[in-house]
Amino acid sequence: MRNVRWLKVIMVIIALLLPLTAMARGIDPLVSTDWLQNNLENTKVVIVDVRKVEDYKAGHIPGAVNVFYGSWAIKKGDLLNELPPIDDLADVIGSAGIGKDSLVVIVGKTDKVPDQFDMTRVAWTLKYLGVQNVAILNGGQNQWVKEKKALSQDMVKAKAKPFTAEVNKNLFVDKAFVLNKIGKAVIVDTRAPAFYEGKEKLAFVPKLGRIKGAVNLPVGQLYTPEGLYKDKAALAALAGKAAGNDLNKELLLYCDTGKTCTAWAFIMTEMLGYKDVKVYDGSSMEWLADPVAPSEP
Amino acid sequence: MYKGYVVDRDLLKKDQHFILTCPQCHKGNDGVLNKEQAHKDLVKRPSDNMATCSMCHKPVTEKYTKSLHYTSAGQRNGVMPRFSKEDLKNFDEKVFEKSCRSCHASCGDCHVKSPAVAGISTGLLAKHKFVKKDESKTCSSCHGGRVYPEYTGEYGGEPDVHYQKGMLCLDCHKKIEFHGDGKAYASKNQVKDRPSCRNCHKPGSEKNPAAKISHQMHADKVTCYGCHSAGEYRQCYSCHAATGSRSKPGFILGLNPRDKKTLTTLRLIPTKKSTFHKAGIKMENFDALPNYWDSAVHNIKKRTARTRSCDSCHVAKAGFLNKEMVIKEGGSKANEGLIYDLKPINK
Repeated sequence: MRNVRWLKVIMVIIALLLPLTAMARGIDPLVSTDWLQNNLENTKVVIVDVRKVEDYKAGHIPGAVNVFYGSWAIKKGDLLNELPPIDDLADVIGSAGIGKDSLVVIVGKTDKVPDQFDMTRVAWTLKYLGVQNVAILNGGQNQWVKEKKALSQDMVKAKAKPFTAEVNKNLFVDKAFVLNKIGKAVIVDTRAPAFYEGKEKLAFVPKLGRIKGAVNLPVGQLYTPEGLYKDKAALAALAGKAAGNDLNKELLLYCDTGKTCTAWAFIMTEMLGYKDVKVYDGSSMEWLADPVAPSEP
Repeated sequence: MYKGYVVDRDLLKKDQHFILTCPQCHKGNDGVLNKEQAHKDLVKRPSDNMATCSMCHKPVTEKYTKSLHYTSAGQRNGVMPRFSKEDLKNFDEKVFEKSCRSCHASCGDCHVKSPAVAGISTGLLAKHKFVKKDESKTCSSCHGGRVYPEYTGEYGGEPDVHYQKGMLCLDCHKKIEFHGDGKAYASKNQVKDRPSCRNCHKPGSEKNPAAKISHQMHADKVTCYGCHSAGEYRQCYSCHAATGSRSKPGFILGLNPRDKKTLTTLRLIPTKKSTFHKAGIKMENFDALPNYWDSAVHNIKKRTARTRSCDSCHVAKAGFLNKEMVIKEGGSKANEGLIYDLKPINK
C-alpha cells in the first residue's frame, strides 16, 4: 500500500516535469503551421525543406533552406535509406546554417506514403549527429499550402556554420545488435498489420514475415484522416498498448527500410518521453534477406 | 489526364505569346464552332516547323537549327568511323533519319510541352504557358535514362553534390549550349564553351592542403570525374543488341578513348558489329572504335572512396577496366586499348 502511494507521488512528479523537459528542448517536437508562421523572423529557427530541388524552387516557406532528402539518406548496396558518411552529413548540416543551438524545423511533403516520413528520418538523423532542438512541421508543406500561407520562390542561401558531429550511436543500430536483443528488448514492427502478419510485402523486401518476437505499432495509426498527427493522449495510448508504458524499457523499432519507423521513434522519444528508443536501420530489407536471422510467422 | 482549360483568361493576360491568335501557330479555323471544321488542318506541334517560331524569334531559331540538340549530328558522327561509304549511305537513310533524328528537340519540347520519349510525353509544362525553363520536365525527359536520375540520386546511390546545393541543369549548362552559337558542330566535343569544373573550382584555391597536393599530383592524369564520381552509374549492356536490353549500375575507370592518356569514367556503349545488320550496314571497320566512351558522369561528390584512400586505385584498382571486365561477346578489339595499368605507389 505504501509502495503504491509512493508510485503515485513519483508519477505526479514525472507528469509535472514532462512539460519542463519539452521546454528544455527549446522547441516542441511537432510545430503547427501557425507557430511556424509566427516564428519566420526568429533568428534561431532554421527551416529545412527536404523536398526535391525542383519542388522547392516552385514554392517554399519563406526563409526555408533546401537540403533535399537524398542528402540525408542514401542507397548502400541493396539497402535503401542508409546513413551517408558522418563527415558528409556534418558538411550538409553546417552548410544549411544549422548549429547545435539552432531550433530546426523540418518541412517535407506528405502526399505520398514514403515521402511522408522523410521529415522524421531527417529529424532522427539530426538527433543522431547531436542536434537536439529538432521539430517537424505538422502536416508538412502540404498543410502550409492548404492553408494558403505565403510561399516564396527565392533560393535561400544559408550562412554556413562549422558543424562537428557528436554522434549518439544508440539511435541507429545494426543487425548484430538486434540479434543480440531478441527476447531482451521490445522489438517494434511499425509496418501495416498485413506486413507484420506476413500476408504482404513490398517488392524489394526479400520475403514475408517479421523479426521473431516483434510487436506491431503501425505508423498509419499516427495520423488523423486529415494527415496531421493525433494528439498526445491518443498517441500515448497507442504506443503504450503495443510497446508498454515502461518509459525506460529498451525499444528497437524497424520497418521495411528504416525510414517510416522513425516517425514512431521520434514521437515516442520527443513527445511521449520514452528514453531508450533505437532504430534498426537495415530493417526488413536486411533482416529478411538473412536466412539465419530468426523471423516469423 | 489534365483537367481544366489549357488556355484560360488568366494565362492570356500573363503570357505575351497570346497576342497571337491560336490559328497563327496551330492553323485550323477559329471562326467556326463545329469541332471538326475548327480542327481541319490543325497543326498539333507548331514548332516542329521552325518557321512558326521564326516569325518572332528569327535570330535564335536560325542558330538553333544548327545546334546539336536540333541536328542530332553527334549521334551520326560518333559512330561514323565504323562505316564504309555504303554503310554511311544506308545509315543516313535507314537509321539516322528514322531513329536518331526523331530525338531532335523542337522549341516547344523545351518551352511548352515536355518532349515525347518513346512516344510518351508528360504533357504541357504549365498549362499552355511558354516557360523559359523547367529542367525536371524537359531535360529529364530525354536525359532521364542516365544523367538526370544519377544527378538527383534517384537511380540509386548518392545524388550529385551540385544538386544537393540546389543547382539544376541550366546552372551549369548555359542557354547557348541549347540554342547554339550559329555554328553546325559535328559533335559536342568541338564546342569550346562547355561547362568545366575548373570554371568554378579554380586549381590552387583549395582550402584543404591534402586536396591541393592531390589535385596537383593528378592534374592532366585523371579527370575530375575519375576521383569525384560518387560511384556506380548506369551502364547499358545490350540496348543495341538484337534481343532485349538491360542495364545495371557499374563504375568503370579507363583511358579516355579521345586522347588515350587521361584516366576517366567510362560508360559502355554496347554496339555490336551486327547492330545495324537489318539496315544492311556491315560495319567492316567495327574495331575502329571502342565500346567504352568517356562520360561526364553526374554523381559528383566531394569525398569518394578514391579521395578517401589512395589504395582504392593504387592497390585495389577498384573499377579499373581490365581484360576480364571488357565485354566479351561481340566487343570491339579497341576496348583493350583503354585498359590502364596503374602502378603501385612507391612508399
